[in-house]
Amino acid sequence: MTSENNNKVHKKLTYSTTQKINGMVFMLPWIIGFLLFFLIPMINTIIYSFHVVGVKDTGGMEMTWSGIQNYIDLFNTEVSSASQQFARVFADENMNIIVNTPLIVIFSLFSALLINANYKGREVVRVIFFLPIVLGLSLVTTLVTTTGGEVTAITAEVTNESGFLMRMLMSNTFLPRDAITYVVDIVSNISSIISKAGVQTLIYLAGLQSINPSLYEVAKIEGATTYEVFWKITFPMLSNVTIFAFVYSFVDLFLASTISNEIYRFAFTRNNIGVGSALSVVYMVNVLVALVLMLFILTRVVKLDNGSK
Amino acid sequence: MAQNKFLSAVKEKWNDNSIADPLYFKRSLQSVLFKIFAASLILGMCFSILYPLIKLFPMVFGNIEELGNPDVVWVPINYSLISFQAAIRLCYGKFVIVLQSLLYAAVTAGIQVMICAMAGYVLGRIKIPFRNLLFALVIFTFVVPPQSLLISQYLRFKQFDILGIFQLFTGGTVDLINNPATLYLLSLFGFGLKQSLFIFIFRQFFMGLPAELEEAALIDGCGFYKTYFKIALPNAVPSIMTVSILSFVWNYGDTYYTGYFHPEGPYIAMKLSQTFAATNSNNVITAVQTWYDAPAASSFAFDAVKQAAVLIYLVPLLIVYFLVQKKLVENFERSGIVG
Repeated sequence: MTSENNNKVHKKLTYSTTQKINGMVFMLPWIIGFLLFFLIPMINTIIYSFHVVGVKDTGGMEMTWSGIQNYIDLFNTEVSSASQQFARVFADENMNIIVNTPLIVIFSLFSALLINANYKGREVVRVIFFLPIVLGLSLVTTLVTTTGGEVTAITAEVTNESGFLMRMLMSNTFLPRDAITYVVDIVSNISSIISKAGVQTLIYLAGLQSINPSLYEVAKIEGATTYEVFWKITFPMLSNVTIFAFVYSFVDLFLASTISNEIYRFAFTRNNIGVGSALSVVYMVNVLVALVLMLFILTRVVKLDNGSK
Repeated sequence: MAQNKFLSAVKEKWNDNSIADPLYFKRSLQSVLFKIFAASLILGMCFSILYPLIKLFPMVFGNIEELGNPDVVWVPINYSLISFQAAIRLCYGKFVIVLQSLLYAAVTAGIQVMICAMAGYVLGRIKIPFRNLLFALVIFTFVVPPQSLLISQYLRFKQFDILGIFQLFTGGTVDLINNPATLYLLSLFGFGLKQSLFIFIFRQFFMGLPAELEEAALIDGCGFYKTYFKIALPNAVPSIMTVSILSFVWNYGDTYYTGYFHPEGPYIAMKLSQTFAATNSNNVITAVQTWYDAPAASSFAFDAVKQAAVLIYLVPLLIVYFLVQKKLVENFERSGIVG
């Protein structure tokens, strides 16, 4: 766009106005959808959260204004399905998600690099790395589980495995016990991290493919090491994707957390739409605040690539 | 014989001093060690991904009456394919339903890619007013759990109307529940399954597109639409492929939108979740007992049939992905631009 500055002011104006008009035309479907299918339902949910909602005898909805009573109930009297106070549930979920998000992003970048490399049989490896997305479909996860007696065997196996790692780290390093338990926790959780990194890996793969190969050629001619190439070319070129991966993992963990199941439980099984809506509102505020904080930190750490020089 | 060959090869290397050369030796040792390390890493990760599927093997291929035997860990004692036959007979029939679901997923994916690429292009490249606000709203729609909007959306489609136009002409609202048009409408207006996510993906990719491409197009006299279709889209093949794959998979496996807005439609995902609901397990077991003359079939048989059905369900997805993954790594056509 910078080359435009040299043109006449008159011409630039027309160009940018046509761009704007056409841009709005392209955005139009989404904006209509936003108003029809999102904003109105959203406002309704916020309205419900300030009412006691019931079903009328005639079949419609009956609402009585109750102020912020639903919110007070949510934090004082209502408990989750695990009989915990909601303040506790929120604190635990936030902590858990903040710890897991960077792990998932790093892991997915790493897997994307692995499946992007050139070796024999990488097509097969790519299909295998794609599996977590398919296996992560809620339908598949519920259907694959075995209801029989296999559960005990698997847990025994996992504790055994992490016990070995624990002993090895304890006897060979002098790290504090807390640090070791943390590492062991991550390692024994690796399957859950893998199962959540499928989409990010795929996006990173597409990001790797969009890096201009001539950059690598130049680096090779200049005699850069693989390490330098990664940190000076690959990683900066992926900054847009990295931001995406962070936001996606973060939101995805929230959507899969116990809180969003609780919303569903309140609305449909407990038939308490008012408190359920209050929970949705608190949940959305929570996610947004956390997300804005995370983006604030990220945009300072990761330099954005805007495609302009 | 092979040993001799190896020895002579070593001898040859030794003679032209390349092995004895410490630098060469270090380099080759490093590369061999690195290859072993990388291979074991890849194999290990593949194994941990495949583990849940490998675990199904003895269940699915085992004799349906002998399941639950604690001695069987990996290899079943007697093989049989009854689980698969039962799954096909229960859910798949002549696989018409699979074709219908695949078609639905493909059409929806097409619509979603089209709409999201347009929105993502505008958000990433065109300076329209309130661009950042719009983008923040896209992320916001992604953050909100679909559960919390469900009731209101359902009521909207139950009495569908746009600004009272239908009311004016036909004298009543249209009931769009249980009508496939609802699902396509949602996709067309950008609010299908996880669609704001796709806009986000496209925006990030279009942002990374070099500005030189657009400038060159402008100088060559391309207007807005020509730039979009001839320059932006062909350069976004990896992201288009990624989004298509994700959209396809998620729509094929979706039970949420189809379940609420088109509950009687032919969707294999819904059929599976209905057939293998926990409350239906006795019916499935009885069916297996009578069809295959297996009176000893227990609740393990239910698990086995369920898992066989899932494996069949996954096959088309994997085939599609295998065919498409070559496109996914097709390189950018921008080698003409320097730096």
